[in-house]
Amino acid sequence: MNKRIETIYKRILNKEHSFLRNDKKIDLANYFELNNVPYPIRASIRLKVLVQNETPFLFKEDRIGFYRRTKFIPPLLTKEEIKELSKNYNLFEGGYVTNISSDYESIIKNGFKNSLKEIENSLLNANKDETIELIAMKDSINSILELVSKYRDYAKSHDNIELLKALNVVPFNGATSFYEASVFLRILNYSLWLNGNKHNTLGRFDQYMYPYFLNDLKKGVTKEEIFEIIEELFISFNIDSDLYPGIQQGDNGQSLVLGGVDKFGNDAFNELTELCLKASLELKMIDPKINLRVSKNTPSKWFELGTLLTKEGLGFPQYSNDDVVIKSLVNLGYDLEDARDYVVAACWEFIIPKVGLDVPNVGALNFPKVINNVIFSKEFKDMSTFDEFLNAVKKEINKEVLNLVNQTKDIFYMPSPFQSVLMKDCIKNKKDCCFGLKYNNFGLHGAGLSNATDALEAIKLNIFDKHLFSKEELIDALTNDFIGFHDLQKTLSNSPKFGNNIDEVDTLATFLLHEFSNACSKHKNSRGGIYRAGTGSAMYYIRYGENLIATADGRNKGEPLSANYSPSLSFKSNGVLSVIQSFTKPNLFEVCNGGPLTLEFHDTLFRNEEGIKKVASLVKTFIYLNGHQLQLNAINKEKLLEAQKHPEKYPNLIVRVWGWSGKFNELDFVYQNHIIKRLEYSN
Amino acid sequence: MSLKVFSIEEFSIYDGPGIRTTIFFSGCPLNCNWCHSPEGRLFNKVTLKNPNGCLRCNKCVDICPTKRKSCIGCEKCIDVCPLNLIRISYKEYTVNELTSLILKNVKLLNLNEGGVTLSGGEPLSQNHDLIELIYTLNKFTHVAIQTSGYGNKELFKEVINNVNLVLFDMKIMDKEKAKFYEGIDNSLIFENFEILKSSNTPFIIRIPLIPRVIDTKENLEKIILKIKDSKNLLGVELLPYNKYAGSKYALINKKYEPLFDESIESNPYLDLFEKYNIKVRIL
Repeated sequence: MNKRIETIYKRILNKEHSFLRNDKKIDLANYFELNNVPYPIRASIRLKVLVQNETPFLFKEDRIGFYRRTKFIPPLLTKEEIKELSKNYNLFEGGYVTNISSDYESIIKNGFKNSLKEIENSLLNANKDETIELIAMKDSINSILELVSKYRDYAKSHDNIELLKALNVVPFNGATSFYEASVFLRILNYSLWLNGNKHNTLGRFDQYMYPYFLNDLKKGVTKEEIFEIIEELFISFNIDSDLYPGIQQGDNGQSLVLGGVDKFGNDAFNELTELCLKASLELKMIDPKINLRVSKNTPSKWFELGTLLTKEGLGFPQYSNDDVVIKSLVNLGYDLEDARDYVVAACWEFIIPKVGLDVPNVGALNFPKVINNVIFSKEFKDMSTFDEFLNAVKKEINKEVLNLVNQTKDIFYMPSPFQSVLMKDCIKNKKDCCFGLKYNNFGLHGAGLSNATDALEAIKLNIFDKHLFSKEELIDALTNDFIGFHDLQKTLSNSPKFGNNIDEVDTLATFLLHEFSNACSKHKNSRGGIYRAGTGSAMYYIRYGENLIATADGRNKGEPLSANYSPSLSFKSNGVLSVIQSFTKPNLFEVCNGGPLTLEFHDTLFRNEEGIKKVASLVKTFIYLNGHQLQLNAINKEKLLEAQKHPEKYPNLIVRVWGWSGKFNELDFVYQNHIIKRLEYSN
Repeated sequence: MSLKVFSIEEFSIYDGPGIRTTIFFSGCPLNCNWCHSPEGRLFNKVTLKNPNGCLRCNKCVDICPTKRKSCIGCEKCIDVCPLNLIRISYKEYTVNELTSLILKNVKLLNLNEGGVTLSGGEPLSQNHDLIELIYTLNKFTHVAIQTSGYGNKELFKEVINNVNLVLFDMKIMDKEKAKFYEGIDNSLIFENFEILKSSNTPFIIRIPLIPRVIDTKENLEKIILKIKDSKNLLGVELLPYNKYAGSKYALINKKYEPLFDESIESNPYLDLFEKYNIKVRIL
């Protein structure tokens, strides 16, 4: 990191720029409602008004910059309007297009000049509604050009020659250098957030920026200079990120995808991939969130670079397995070339850039509730075999999925003309992206899979096989949250679990996921798209857990469910090799809505080069076993402190030294503190 | 006959090449002052109590025949603890049971150029089932053994001739000092080392750098002189002092009382190893 970058870096880390922001709350919705302003125009007016309030500012070191002034983005609809619309539609995410991946490639290449030309062409034979939309698109572009012009003037009057030169080219024209392309990307990123679009994923950066990289090298630009630009660009994604609403736990979804394959299916890792990983490693900032697309043919080097990044404890990279994802998407009807181009959405779901309006998180199936529904059904007492129970579970899954489909299939999104400019063919088709694009599929998460699997096993073993207690006893125990049923709860908790590589249990997880996928395949949404089943849980693992009574895996009422595709929270593990084997037995080709297996390690595992190599090897093993998605976390200080206070949340945390390992929870308190303190100084 | 195991680490990366599953056998004849697995020294089964979170409800004391003054391994206290803080110190396995456990992971271990490491405690202190275990595991994967070298000579010979790698500890060379710090007559260790040296089995010497006890120039040089000129010596691994060595003593209700200054940094004396052309690395 050179001095200039270091200055910018420290400044943004310490939020020294927050003085630039104002708390102004503009009200537009009432005006819009009163005047019956058409939806597309509401969006373009809001953008125009916000731009008017965005006074330019640059620190003298900045060559990219762009700083948000107004914190609050006013809504486009009044509460009454929302209420009215909600009667007939699912106003997902408040009714605003979000969590898609723009066509950065074309826009950066061709500039807004080209978009404006296309709009003029389309206006030639547009009907009334189309005209309104196209004008709104044009106005939105012009607002951004206005914003950029203010920054240009500022740059000029502050002798920021480099940025001035760049802004003389982009974003009106296409970029002609890596630097200009980076400035353009930042402007698009900034504008989307200002426009009220959320979770703006950054797509396959190392692919669409690669031509500029190559060209620059030919012109004599050095890799160090490119690296410097990347670092400044990455820092810029963090400038206003605290203003961006989170999708879960402060995570605003600025995911950036590296690696993967090209449209012919060939390895697409390149030098830019490496520079990006190294930049992220040096900066250690929460944005952009690195997603690595790998396959079993990906050289170990990339897994090792990824593991170095894991060690920083930021919670990324997240690995997605091309071998599984691409095939799954094609099986669901995506075109092969589009499938090969997939990116990761804000959390983990697989979506298609440029042409996808998939909504991969419309709802979530509550797996443990399904099991409880069968337990509390009137048919349960008459069941004499476990197969009958499974059959009932299958029916219940289908019933629940049908409910979810009915609740979610009619999505309403407000038109977003500016976002539409950044998606393929919207201008050509004269249609806002909110109405749909090439892909309009919906996705359902699958929450609490492990609890449900464990419950099934416990029921099979203890009721149907060993007759240790009766069905009535189970019902009573669950109803009373195990009060007075201490031994029964213990039996349930001590039954074999999903994650310990026991075939009998793992088969049940396979069954649940298969039935979920099957159930989804029977339905379509109102846009003609399909429903994709997934293994994620998002925050449903808490929300569903809070509202669920005790479950047959031994879980108490109100306790959280398992998070994403992971063992249940109080699960006592045989070890990570068992977990990986359990979790790769289900047919993951059927659940391409995504949802990672999460593994957590204490940082003593990443201590040296040997450790890094071996952990990387473990990740590669998961890919080789056809795992679909993996999140590897290094335990950070906060989690260790939490483990001290709540050991039941981290039963498998192991601290390792050569020839020695200790369960963190069992270690003398004094040593626990020692370990926590060391974490502050490690690396 | 059964094998006593106090821990099985499925995913172990510092106990030999590749990714390994390490089996920690319970029972050790040594009494090293710096022992970091005190719960693994025991030949008799006892209960271990997590020192954190005890409610002081005294249910475990009330039910205990010795009022928790000296554990006889009856295991009555395990079930009564409301927070499940008590567990048994080791589990017993037959060779078949242990093999089955390992076989479940063997594909992944081999894929990652690893295998199984037998450790502990002192694996040589196990009964003759150890040999059968080694024979069996050897058919499926790479087997390494981590040992102090203190054990029956015949058993040692058979073990090293059937494993793929030996991780042999060298600690204090001086007989008197060894008796004081390690509690044994270390001549047996050197006799076994000669057996190892004249075998064909590759080995790595592991030296725990206990500050100013083992990591003195004098002691390290003595070790070097003993081990150099071994045709099957792969190298030396220096183990910096484990600062968490005392962390598990509370589990067995004992105090860690090192007779050396834990705070002093270890001295690897790398140049000394270089001088004798011995491959060395710090783990």
